[in-house]
Amino acid sequence: MSSGFISWIRKYKPKSLSEVVGNEEAKRKIVEWIRSWEKGAPGKRAIFIYGPPGVGKTAAVEALANDLKMEVIESDASTYRTEEAVKRFAGRASQYGSLFGMKRLIVFDELDGITGSADHGGLREITEIVKNSRVPVILIANDAYDPRFAVLRNYCLLIEFKKPSKSEVMRYLAKICAKEGINADEAALKFIAERSGGDVRSAVTDLQALAQGKTRLTYEDVAWLAPRDRKEEIFNVLRMIFYAKDASSAKTAVNMADVDLDMLFEWIYENIPYHIKNPHELANAMDMLAKSDVYRRRVKETQDWTFLRYVIDLMTAGVASSWSRKSAGWTPFKFPERIKKASISKEERMLLSEISRRIGRKCHLSSSRAVREVLPYLRVIFQSNPEMAKGIARWLDLTDEMVAYISREQ
Amino acid sequence: MWTEKYRPRTLDEMVDQEEIVSRLKSFVKAKNVPHCIFAGPPGTGKTTAALCLAHDLYGENYREYIMELNASDERGINVVRETVKTFARTKPMGEVTFKILILDEADNMTEDAQQALRRTMERYSETARFILIANYSGRIIEPIQSRCAPFRFTYLSREAVIERIRYICKGENIKILDDGIEAVLEISEGDLRKTVNILQTAASLGKPINAEIVYSVVGRANPYDVREMMLTALNGDFIAARSKLKELTQKYGLTGMDIIKQIHDEIFRLNVPDKWKVKLADIAGEVDYRLIQGATDEVQLSAMLAKLVEAGYEIKRGL
Repeated sequence: MSSGFISWIRKYKPKSLSEVVGNEEAKRKIVEWIRSWEKGAPGKRAIFIYGPPGVGKTAAVEALANDLKMEVIESDASTYRTEEAVKRFAGRASQYGSLFGMKRLIVFDELDGITGSADHGGLREITEIVKNSRVPVILIANDAYDPRFAVLRNYCLLIEFKKPSKSEVMRYLAKICAKEGINADEAALKFIAERSGGDVRSAVTDLQALAQGKTRLTYEDVAWLAPRDRKEEIFNVLRMIFYAKDASSAKTAVNMADVDLDMLFEWIYENIPYHIKNPHELANAMDMLAKSDVYRRRVKETQDWTFLRYVIDLMTAGVASSWSRKSAGWTPFKFPERIKKASISKEERMLLSEISRRIGRKCHLSSSRAVREVLPYLRVIFQSNPEMAKGIARWLDLTDEMVAYISREQ
Repeated sequence: MWTEKYRPRTLDEMVDQEEIVSRLKSFVKAKNVPHCIFAGPPGTGKTTAALCLAHDLYGENYREYIMELNASDERGINVVRETVKTFARTKPMGEVTFKILILDEADNMTEDAQQALRRTMERYSETARFILIANYSGRIIEPIQSRCAPFRFTYLSREAVIERIRYICKGENIKILDDGIEAVLEISEGDLRKTVNILQTAASLGKPINAEIVYSVVGRANPYDVREMMLTALNGDFIAARSKLKELTQKYGLTGMDIIKQIHDEIFRLNVPDKWKVKLADIAGEVDYRLIQGATDEVQLSAMLAKLVEAGYEIKRGL
């Protein structure tokens, strides 16, 4: 595709109302209302579409106009909307048909942006137009219940746009990926959708930033977007889990957390012994976490996410209920060491296994016994006697890299 | 490495295990070897005996007649079906009409593989004889045991080990003091491989070997051993015990499976009531199973350490 730098928001703007993500009810109401114009001006000559940013309000109106081949007269916050300006812009247009014989639609977008001083008299004039218009008028704002709109509201049919669900956003992202020829992991799309909090526009923007030019999008590609400094949030969640008043409130803590479950697991694992000191309770709590870990493994093994609920139950309610939850004063939460201190890397692990294989072959031992019974001594020899080490390295047929690994101070 | 340099080449060179050696010599004389099981603790000469037997039987080129497999590395049934079969079914050239297959750490073979092995042993016994080496013969299935001549290796005598230490020191032209020998003996507990490894490591420092040097190199080689980690937990310090666990897995590259095996070995040596030994063994078994299922090493082993903390606490209270 040559359209490299076109924003995907624009590129994939819905061409028809049916393509707009979610909000089926609202879309149906809009169509119903616009149809009612066929029998002359209805009781409410304007609809007032409201809802949070990025859920497709403007996109829906533009798609509707496209569906019905209507001419759109549009004003947004970038234009002045004083009484005078509104009159000039929409006054005549609201009374007469289109020059080209097209049906006409008047749209006041971003109505929240109207200010009392710079747009003096604008709202009043809009209200006048709405009362008397001979063409359909659509108003768009985030909050229709702003007191400034109290009068205007009376003359409008209110239509609410809600945040689309995570799966609706995911489906939309998946469609875009398919068109872009990107093979995207479900987990990656889920992550983007979750992060957007129902804001489709920001989800598409994120997707483009992360996936453009790729043929494959994995969870790893997107996970770094996770807010890195969410300390306060994780502390709250931990507090809710460790000091929950009952099992279900410990469970709900997870829903509050905008943290990855594996990450949360590490936090809990790290912090259990600092909070739960009684030996019985400590053993219980660790046991719960170990069982949660078993279910974590089952998720991976079966690829079936239903097991996730047991992972969550055991790591939250399980841990919470395994002790008396009496806070012994203020104990700060500690950052998980397992994340801070990267464990032995994959490369090192492979190197290690090749070293042990070579030792095993020469010394008639299995690899695992070579690691346990021979390697520890080799380390000391390699660190204290280069001459002897050289001979051994040659005899074992070790590469320079292996020698360096064994000789390294731990 | 000295373990290989000083590994006996012929049955005559073997130290101790006289009973076994004389029986093996009789096989050489008859130019016939039955299937065998060599069972016994580590470092007592099982692999060496198998290699020496082959050497004496086939001569200097004995490697052409034998195959050595380590069942811990290749424990699956496919190895038996492919590698072992291919080797076993062809007749060797020369005076001796069979080859020898040495299967080390055979007690780590899966049950399936052992069943497959049993048929293979039977079918190709004309052309191949099997020597199975194991720490515990009990882990080898009954039908195989009944087809094999059993050999029970025991820890080497103190005198035999001392003799070997002196022999090596003479060969390497190094000086060892009496307390150095005592220290090596104490740590290696009759395991000759360990003895020689400690000896070489101590010698690598280039000074006459005394007890202090021996303990220091062993300490450097095993800074935190599993036992110490367990004792820390039993004393009630979970956090310190967990740090030691991290040390073992992250720095020293021990797998969870290595560690749980060592934990299990130590449980019955702990100074705790029998009731708790059994309880802990049970818990270790559960952890072991979970690790095999692919659970996270550190998490599962930490849970085990927490149980040790609990055990220590209850024992102190006399429960």
